Amino acid sequence: MKDKTLLLIAIVTLALALLPLGFESNVVLNFLAFAMIITLAAQGWNVLGGFGGQFSFGHAAFFGTGAYGMALLQVRFGVNAWLAMPIAIALGAAVGYAIGFLSFRARLRGSYFALVTLAFAEVFRISANVWSFTGGAAGVLVPLKLDPWNMQFADKRLGYWLALALVALVLLITHRLRESRFGAQLIAIRENEDAARALGADALAVKLKAIALSGGITAAAGSLYTQKFLYLDATLAYGPWISVEALLAPIIGGIGTIFGPLLGAFLLLGLGEVTKTFFANLLGGARPGADLVVFGVLLILCVAFAPRGVLGLLARLRGRGA
Amino acid sequence: MNRLNRRTVLQGAGASAALIAAPGLVRAQAAPVKIGILQPVTGALAQDGEYGRLGAEIALNEINAAGGIKSMGGAALQMVFGDARSSPEGGTAEVERMQAEGVAGIVGGFASPIVLAASQAASRYDIPYVVDVGVSDQIVNRGLKNTFRFGPGFGTVTSTALENLSKLNDAAGKPAKTVVIVHEDGLFGSGMAKLLNERLPQRGFEVMETIAHPTPSRDMSNVALRIRALNPDLVIPSSYYAEFVLLARTMQQQRIRPKGVYAILNGAASNFRFVKEFPDAANLVMDCNHWADPRKPRTAQVRALAEKDGRFWLYNTPLNYSCVKLLADAIERAGSADRAKVTEALANSNFADHIMPYGPTKFVNGQNTGAAPVNTQVQNGDIKVIFPTEFADAKAVFPAA
Repeated sequence: MKDKTLLLIAIVTLALALLPLGFESNVVLNFLAFAMIITLAAQGWNVLGGFGGQFSFGHAAFFGTGAYGMALLQVRFGVNAWLAMPIAIALGAAVGYAIGFLSFRARLRGSYFALVTLAFAEVFRISANVWSFTGGAAGVLVPLKLDPWNMQFADKRLGYWLALALVALVLLITHRLRESRFGAQLIAIRENEDAARALGADALAVKLKAIALSGGITAAAGSLYTQKFLYLDATLAYGPWISVEALLAPIIGGIGTIFGPLLGAFLLLGLGEVTKTFFANLLGGARPGADLVVFGVLLILCVAFAPRGVLGLLARLRGRGA
Repeated sequence: MNRLNRRTVLQGAGASAALIAAPGLVRAQAAPVKIGILQPVTGALAQDGEYGRLGAEIALNEINAAGGIKSMGGAALQMVFGDARSSPEGGTAEVERMQAEGVAGIVGGFASPIVLAASQAASRYDIPYVVDVGVSDQIVNRGLKNTFRFGPGFGTVTSTALENLSKLNDAAGKPAKTVVIVHEDGLFGSGMAKLLNERLPQRGFEVMETIAHPTPSRDMSNVALRIRALNPDLVIPSSYYAEFVLLARTMQQQRIRPKGVYAILNGAASNFRFVKEFPDAANLVMDCNHWADPRKPRTAQVRALAEKDGRFWLYNTPLNYSCVKLLADAIERAGSADRAKVTEALANSNFADHIMPYGPTKFVNGQNTGAAPVNTQVQNGDIKVIFPTEFADAKAVFPAA
């Protein structure tokens, strides 16, 4: 069982890595790279929400901290991008720990925890919007200097492979997590926190570890976003859009599974692209908005008929067949 | 009475068919030149994007009807439209698609964050990028060789607005001394508020309070009540469409009547939709913003085309119309769709056949140095130009009441 998952991770990573060798289109490459960023953010959410059962509506707080950390370290302090990234990830983990400490110690659970995370993300957004250090509402612009040394690649495939490498690393971490003692305790807390505590699991410590890990992973997504678009403002970094993406992808793909966030991100973004192209071709020109309607309907169907995500649906169908 | 018979009808039809077909035959020889039009037509900025697209369409139709790009054997311009979805990611994805389609240049973007990301993505492929609105001065200060902004930036607009405000106040015998600034808390509103707080005291105005509000806001009662309590001579709002309309209507309902409402780059104050839908709330509101040149005969024609299907006349339409014509002129002079040649032609452009009040274009570091805003005032259901005096079609009504 253990080796089978590892093998699957290797196969998926290899297949994704070989994808850009098959075509020249930068449109697809751009899509793949963005899908990887969303996957990372979603994987971060999945560690806390999927395995730990702590539903956060404010992963933007971690994403934005990673993004701003990456940008400000380079712009304000002249730190090299390759060094800035681990620092940004550490900052995201620290913010995760701090938010976790404040809310878990107050025993906030369920919708209360969700609302508090949402509020934290908003506080970060408003602060970043007025603080001159973060560039205020004008945002920060990372100068365009295409050089691998600056983590800005002339060949877009390199950027994609970097993101993919991080996704693969997180796949491994998630796999290890599920197998580990820490992971078992986390899942036990998800199923019944009081029972887990009665059995000797230190619920606060476990949840804090999980939210720090979750924050770090999502911050990695933020730092990649900065390097890809080289421009940030408060709404991009801390806006609710990324909290929603980070939460939708695992829910669509399969919550609390290793491949769920990856599958979900591809389905979500892919569906958007496919419906957009399909409608442009069908109606002979851009018909903005029509694709969003279809996208919404498909999303409703997905949640209505596959409440445990696509992976859950597959498992259910297989179970019925056997 | 001459009656139409079958023969004359056939002759007429044949002649008109030949006329219509003739330019088509000539054009068929040259491959069309693709132009990317990037606008946010879904999401929060959909209204602006839609009117920007309208302007671009009018320009492309006009150019093609007049025989396309003559130096390229009458090549037609073909629009490759991209929906930026009101976000930088959306804009970037569409630039990639336009690159795949082989566009000779891109026009548009509207909002500064979209423009910043999209022009950067375009610079990787050396695609010339003409910015339609995007007022953030970061856009032209990055040293990107492919990026050209036709309209005025933030700094220019604010300086002009303050200059004209002083003129206005002096001419009326300085009735206004106190000011309340209301602004949206994003890039343009906050930047504006900061500049105004620095510069208004130098011109003898006292800033009583600066009130920020988020976009979107669904209630402006608190802001209005605060204005009533402070009772300033002037209110300076910098907000997007919906929020300013809400504020103006709330102020009207609460009978808050300052001596003047002097908007800067406001989303509604020079928008005919606002003027038509809420004529009383809009009356006498002043704005310093992008505005088409009423002296140019083409302005009225473009406006008639834009308003044909019950749409309104917004600054996005003439700006995008002019930007597309600017790019087309560069392609015409380059005699080729080659991006490097078009970029060079843009950099050396002295294009004057646009409908903005700018004079011939002259780019310095990608900024059109002649670009300038215009002051307008809503007067009895119409939007009149009150500054610059060279082509003002009305005198400012100030102080109001």
